[in-house]
Amino acid sequence: MTKHKLELSGKVTKDNIEEVMQQAIALELATIPTYLSTYYSINRAQDQDVLYAKIHKQLSISRLRSPEEIDKLAQEFKLDVLVYANKSAALIMSVVIEEMLHLALASNVKQAVCQSAPDLMGIGKVLSFPAYLAGHKPEFEIDTAKLSLDQLTTFLQIESPKEFDKFHLEKQKQGIVDYKTIGGLYLMIEECVRKNFPGPYKQRPQLLPPDKNPDKRKNNPKPFYSQNSVNTVHYDRDHKPKFASADDSGELVGVHDSKTAIEAMKLICEQGEGVKKKDIPQHFLHFGENKMPIPMPVVDDTDGGKKVEFFEGDYDDVEGKEPAHFAKFLEAYSLGHHYQDKFKEIEGLDDFFSYFVYNQDKNPTQADYEASGNTALALCSKLGNAVFAYILLMIETCYHKDESTQYDLFMYGIHKSMIWLLSGVGNQINQYTYTSGNQVAENGKITYGTQAYKGALTFEYFAFEKSFSRPKAQIMDLVEQLAAADPTNWGWAIDSENYFPSLPDVGLDHSIVPDMPKVPSTPYKHHH
Amino acid sequence: MSHLEKKELHVCMGLNSCKNEGISNKNDCAGQGDCATAVGHPCHTLNACKGQGACGLFGTTEEFCHPGENDCRNQGSCGVPILASRFFMQGPNKGLSVWQLARKRFEEKRNGLKPKTGSSPQPFGPTQEYVNNLPNITDKISASCGQSGNRSCSYANDPVERSTKAKERVLKMKEESKKKLPEMLSRCPKNAK
Repeated sequence: MTKHKLELSGKVTKDNIEEVMQQAIALELATIPTYLSTYYSINRAQDQDVLYAKIHKQLSISRLRSPEEIDKLAQEFKLDVLVYANKSAALIMSVVIEEMLHLALASNVKQAVCQSAPDLMGIGKVLSFPAYLAGHKPEFEIDTAKLSLDQLTTFLQIESPKEFDKFHLEKQKQGIVDYKTIGGLYLMIEECVRKNFPGPYKQRPQLLPPDKNPDKRKNNPKPFYSQNSVNTVHYDRDHKPKFASADDSGELVGVHDSKTAIEAMKLICEQGEGVKKKDIPQHFLHFGENKMPIPMPVVDDTDGGKKVEFFEGDYDDVEGKEPAHFAKFLEAYSLGHHYQDKFKEIEGLDDFFSYFVYNQDKNPTQADYEASGNTALALCSKLGNAVFAYILLMIETCYHKDESTQYDLFMYGIHKSMIWLLSGVGNQINQYTYTSGNQVAENGKITYGTQAYKGALTFEYFAFEKSFSRPKAQIMDLVEQLAAADPTNWGWAIDSENYFPSLPDVGLDHSIVPDMPKVPSTPYKHHH
Repeated sequence: MSHLEKKELHVCMGLNSCKNEGISNKNDCAGQGDCATAVGHPCHTLNACKGQGACGLFGTTEEFCHPGENDCRNQGSCGVPILASRFFMQGPNKGLSVWQLARKRFEEKRNGLKPKTGSSPQPFGPTQEYVNNLPNITDKISASCGQSGNRSCSYANDPVERSTKAKERVLKMKEESKKKLPEMLSRCPKNAK
């Protein structure tokens, strides 16, 4: 098993800040495949009647309850599953979107302070899973994996606002825990920037927010960042919509001097870990005797379901509009823990998560799929990896181009790729099954042997540089191969010109083919 | 030749400028068309032309203030038609009706023009049932988009109760939106488009 370490420097100096910023960008980037892999493992909106029938049947087997009791319980458990599945997915997606923002913010800081563009493709080349955050003690593994309490524990460790004692018994033995948080890294960078890089910085391309002055907006950066979408919405038990992100939870920050550089980094830390004001109560990560995080207390909600109650410091804003990433994950963990225990106590029911989480292997690889002989699965995985690498290439290219081109790349390429192309592959790949001989660790038990799994994105690097063709041509070649291997599910992809064919054509040298996608019947031209 | 090829292309019921410019060719006046004529597309970045992107589900706050007013192909916010159950996911009008804002914008643009804007066939926009019963709708239109499920639904177990509760909740959103329509317009950023 390859151990990929994301190195964290112990000290930030004016001599190593460029390298440290590249590391910080790598940290932000590494979270995205991890969170996305878990997001795609969730069946958010399954057929409620099929689910009800399944639970009803399971409750009926024991013959311990009256038909009325069974009807009532089946409805209650159905709601537990549907509402939690949709909510946990919305929370994860809201964090993914903000991690994309953080990637851009950290890249803006590097571009401005270090006067060097982010090397996202370079990070993509070496990023593989499981990954580890070196410098964290105890070291912990970051996987691409399905939703579970174990996976949410990893998320909590990534976003932890405070050094945590993973296994307190070990800590007592060793007497010391030498630990860093991601927020701690940014604090060191902030200190270095304040001291050595006051600015103003020489202007280079960055991803910028729209001008706050509406009169200037026509000719200045157009907006392309949005916190909420239909994928960050979820519904309560009365099917009332809930929104996972506040509208004003954060925006791109143009970095021009030390003040704006620090503002960008503070936003990253606050969205991840909370506002962190002195004497304000906040939840932290504490492990129990069972070596799992201690959940927040779960209380009754007004819709008949359950909820957690946040402290003031759990939010990413002083007004308390939106919980920080850590608090969102602690909420998902605590509610998941509650429902898993609740389902365990009912004879006949399966594990809570099994009702809505696809059975995907941890850290699956392209090699697993090739070995399984499932051609469509292997091609689907390759296509997913190619699209993810292309997203990185398009974002990286933004740091070499003007604002008009950046807008084109986002509107025609990055939005489409994130919302439809990567999602399309991520949601379709779990329709394929394969067997793998991996060892399986679940709930502390390790078993060996061949297991059947659903496919999942592997987030391995797709080496566009191995071919003389341009990256988009390679993507289109994969689409054609996949459509031939599985015409029922993928035939549409070669015919629907607004999907893959209309992606911008970006080269590894950041060159862009003019007027692609073509926009007929309008005076519009792309000015690259 | 498609029956839509020579028509004005717009994103929903009540947003047409002329007679017989709804999908069924049966409307007498502007604003009385029964459904979108825009070339069908499922969502954000997938629309075929200027003015054919609808609104509310994916996109920016600024786009969400101007349903159906995108400048170019692939720049539209969301799929057409804009069903009555669709609410904004982002921005100052989050949770409120997309169709009502679209209609208000349309009425403002047509203010003083002839022919006079008539009433929409349904006061708060088309329901899923209405649209799917129109003769020229070949693919069924759904209130689902993205991965979070159907916006016009409830979790009641009995199918009749499920439908009733869903309609009640959507109606509440529509009525609240009607009350807040002046605010909805004023809360959009200036020069958003």
